[in-house]
Amino acid sequence: MGQFEVQIVNFARLVMLALVPYVLASQGTMLGGRTGLFNVAQEGIMLVGASVGFLGAYLYDSLFYGLLLAMLVGGLFGLALAYFTTTLKMNQFVIGLALFFFGVGLSTLFYKFVVGVTLQPPLIPTLQNVPIPGLSQIPVLGDIFFTQNWLVYFAVLLSLFLYYLLYQTSFGLELRAVGENPKAADSLGVNVSRMRYGTAIVGGMLMGLAGAYLPMVYTGTFTEGMVQGRGWIAIALTFFGGWSPHLIFLGSLFFAGVEVLALRVQIGGFGIPYQFLLTLPYIATIFVMMFAFRWVRAPAFLGQNYDREKRTLA
Amino acid sequence: MKGVCKSFGTVVALDDVSLQLNSREIHGLLGGNGAGKTTLMNVLYGLYKPDAGEIYLRGEKIEIHSPRDAIQCGIGMVHQHFLQIDNFTVTQNIVLGTPLKNRPTLNLDQEEERIRELSERFGLEVNPRALIEDLPMGFRQRVEILKALYRGVEILILDEPTTNLIPQEVDSLFQSLRVMVEEGMSVVFITHKLREALGVCDRISVLREGKNVFTLPRDEASEEVLVKGMVGEELDVEKSVLFSSAGLDQAALEVGEKPVLQVEDLQVVGEGGNLAVKGCTFQVREKEIFGIAGVAGNGQRELAESLLGIRPIAGGRVLIDGVNVADVGTRELLEMGVTYIPEDRLQDGFLPAANVAQNLILGYHHQEPYNKGGFLDWPTIFRVARKLISEYDIKTPGPREIAANLSGGNIQRMMLARAFSHPARLLVAHNPTRGLDIPSMEFVYSKLLERKKQGMATLLLADDLDELFLLCDRIGTIYRGEIVGILDRSQFDKYEIGRMMSGIRTRPEGMPAYE
Repeated sequence: MGQFEVQIVNFARLVMLALVPYVLASQGTMLGGRTGLFNVAQEGIMLVGASVGFLGAYLYDSLFYGLLLAMLVGGLFGLALAYFTTTLKMNQFVIGLALFFFGVGLSTLFYKFVVGVTLQPPLIPTLQNVPIPGLSQIPVLGDIFFTQNWLVYFAVLLSLFLYYLLYQTSFGLELRAVGENPKAADSLGVNVSRMRYGTAIVGGMLMGLAGAYLPMVYTGTFTEGMVQGRGWIAIALTFFGGWSPHLIFLGSLFFAGVEVLALRVQIGGFGIPYQFLLTLPYIATIFVMMFAFRWVRAPAFLGQNYDREKRTLA
Repeated sequence: MKGVCKSFGTVVALDDVSLQLNSREIHGLLGGNGAGKTTLMNVLYGLYKPDAGEIYLRGEKIEIHSPRDAIQCGIGMVHQHFLQIDNFTVTQNIVLGTPLKNRPTLNLDQEEERIRELSERFGLEVNPRALIEDLPMGFRQRVEILKALYRGVEILILDEPTTNLIPQEVDSLFQSLRVMVEEGMSVVFITHKLREALGVCDRISVLREGKNVFTLPRDEASEEVLVKGMVGEELDVEKSVLFSSAGLDQAALEVGEKPVLQVEDLQVVGEGGNLAVKGCTFQVREKEIFGIAGVAGNGQRELAESLLGIRPIAGGRVLIDGVNVADVGTRELLEMGVTYIPEDRLQDGFLPAANVAQNLILGYHHQEPYNKGGFLDWPTIFRVARKLISEYDIKTPGPREIAANLSGGNIQRMMLARAFSHPARLLVAHNPTRGLDIPSMEFVYSKLLERKKQGMATLLLADDLDELFLLCDRIGTIYRGEIVGILDRSQFDKYEIGRMMSGIRTRPEGMPAYE
C-alpha cells in the first residue's frame, strides 16, 4: 500500500472509532423522542457517564465495571427525566436543562471527591481492540471495520437492532404510536407511561455509555467538560437522521468524519488556525440543521406530555 | 351505569347520571355542549376515573380502570376527534395494541385479510394499505369503527360521529350501524343533532348540565320534546328561529342588489406553503347571507383570513364596496366595516387574561370614543361594555371579570357583541355556533338575521349543513380550495351539496340522487 492508501485507511478507522459516542447518544435520544419524550440533557448525562465510568474503572481496576456504572447513572438520569415529566407532568425542556446542569456539576464533583486535586492525573488503560477472527484478515476492510474495540461493534449492532425493533415488531409499532399520538395509543390499550419510562431509562443508559467511551478510548483520564458539545450535536444529529435508527447511523458517520477531519488538518498543519478547525463540527451542525428541518418529520408529540384526563380547551 | 359522578376541579361534569343500554339497540345520547355526554362515555371507556358510581355489564358489576379494561369487556369507542396516527397505514392503526400472531416480523397480511373481511361485512370499505393522512374524513371514520370491530367489541360508543361527514356518508354510516345491531351489537350514539337522533336511534336519553333528563323510545320522542329536554323551559319553541324556515324564506326574497364583497379568482397560500384557496370567485350582496359549505380543511379558514387581511392574498382580487383591498391592512378593513368571527374563538378570538370590557373593544380600541389623544377613555369603555353585556345577555359578574372565566356560549356572545358593536358592512363568520347550546345558537341566528335586515352582507362559513340551509340565501360549496358550485335557496339539496363537498361537479343524467 502506498502512503496515500494508508492515510485513507487510517482516516476510515478513526471515523469508525469516533462514531461510537454519536451513535450511542443519538440513538438514545431517538428512543425517547419516538415515545414523545424529548431529552435535552445529553451533554450532562454524557459528562456524568464519562466521570463515573472513569472513576469506576480507576477504583475497581476494571473497564467493564466503569461502563456498567456509567450506564447505571445514565439510566438514573433517564428515570428522573421520566418521573418529572411523565408522572409529575412538568415541562420536558426545563427538566432536561436542569438535568444537564446537574450532570455538569456532578461530573466534576464526583471526580474531585474521589481523586481530589493532583498534579498528575490518574490514568486508566484504554479499551483494547478486539480483532474479529477471520473477518479481520480481509485486506483494508478488515483493518477498518473488524479490528476495533467492542463498543464499535456494539454501536453498529445496536443501530441494526433498533431498526429491526422499530419497524419490524409490533412492540416497535406501539413505541412509535406513543410518540405520534399518545391518546390514540392509550385508547388502544398501550401503556403510554410505561413506554416513556422504558425509553427514557434505556436512552439515558446509552448516553451514559457514550460518555464513558471518551475517557476509555480517547484520553484515559477525565477532564472537565471533556464531552465538548457532542451531547448537543447528538440532538442535532437525531433531527438530521429523521428520528430513524438507520439514518442516524449515517448521520453519525458524517459528524464523526467532520471531527476526524478537523483533527487531521490540525495535525497536518496547513496553516489554518486550529481554533477555526475546532469550530468545524458546530458549523456543520448549523448547516445540517438548516437543511434537515426542511424535509425531516419529527414525532408529532415530541416534547409534549400526555395527561389522559386533560380536557382540551375547544 | 348507575349514579356516575365526575368533577373536573370545581366543575361538576356529571352529577348522579345513570344509563341503561339494552342489547341490540342504538341508544342515542343527546344533549347540548357541556351536558356531559362525552364525559359519561369516557368514564365507561376507562379514560376518566369516576368520583362515584358503578358500572354493570350483563348484571355483573365491573371495574374499568383503563381503555384496556374496557376493550376486554367488549366496549369500543370512536372519539369525535379521531385517535389515529397519520403516518401509519390503516392496518397498522387498527392492529396497534393487539397481540400479533406472526411475531418475528411485522408482516400484516393475515390481519389485512381480516380487516377486508370486516369491511365487507359491515359495509365499511377502505383500503387497508392506505396511509391515514391520505384518507378523507369519511374513510378515517370507518377506520375508527373498524378498530373497534377488529377487537370484537359488543358495545360500540360513537361520539358525534357525523361531524365531518357529508350527507351520503352519514346515510351509509347509519346503514352500517343497523348491520351491527342486527348482528347482536349495541351502539351508543352521542350527538347534539336532534334529527340524527330521531333518524337512527331506538331509544334516546337526554342529558342536561350533567344530569339525566329522561329516556324515551323513539316513538314517543319528537323534536319539540327533545329540545325542551335539552334546554329546559328557557327556549320558546314557538318563536324560535330554529323551527321556522317560512319566515326565513320570505327574508331571502329581500336580498339587495348591490354587491358588498366581490371575490375574483382569489388565491391564498396555506399553512404548508401550498395554495389552499385556488381561484375562488363569488359575490356577497347587501342583505344577503352567503354560505360556504365544505368538509373542514378545504380552504375555508384561509379564505376567511385572507378577507380580513390576516393572510396575504397570493392572486386574484377582493373588492369590498368596490375598493380593492389586496394591500389594505386589517385595521383599515375593520374601519371599513368588515368584521370577523373566527372559527377558533378560544385561540384566535379573544384575550383570555384580559377582562370583558377590554375584549369588547379589542380592535376598535384605537378609535373614538374609546381612545382620546392616545389615552384610553376607561369610563366610556366600561359604560359601553355594560351596555353590550346587557344587550347581548352575556352572563358575567361585570365588565371587570377576566374573559377566560366565561363559558363557551358567553365567550361567543362577547365576540358577537364586539363584531356588532359597530356599523358593519360585511361580516365574515366561521362556524359561529360551533359548540354552543341551543339558546346561544338561537341568539346568534337571530342577531345575524337582524343585521341582515339592516343591510349587512354576511359570509357564513360553516361545517353544519342544517345551519347553512336555515340561514343562507345562497350556498357555494368549496372543495380543495375551489368553489365547485353555487346554489340558490330554492335549489338547496343536501345530497347535491354532499356530492359537491366530495368534489363532484354535476350529477350525470339518469343517475340516482344518492348512490
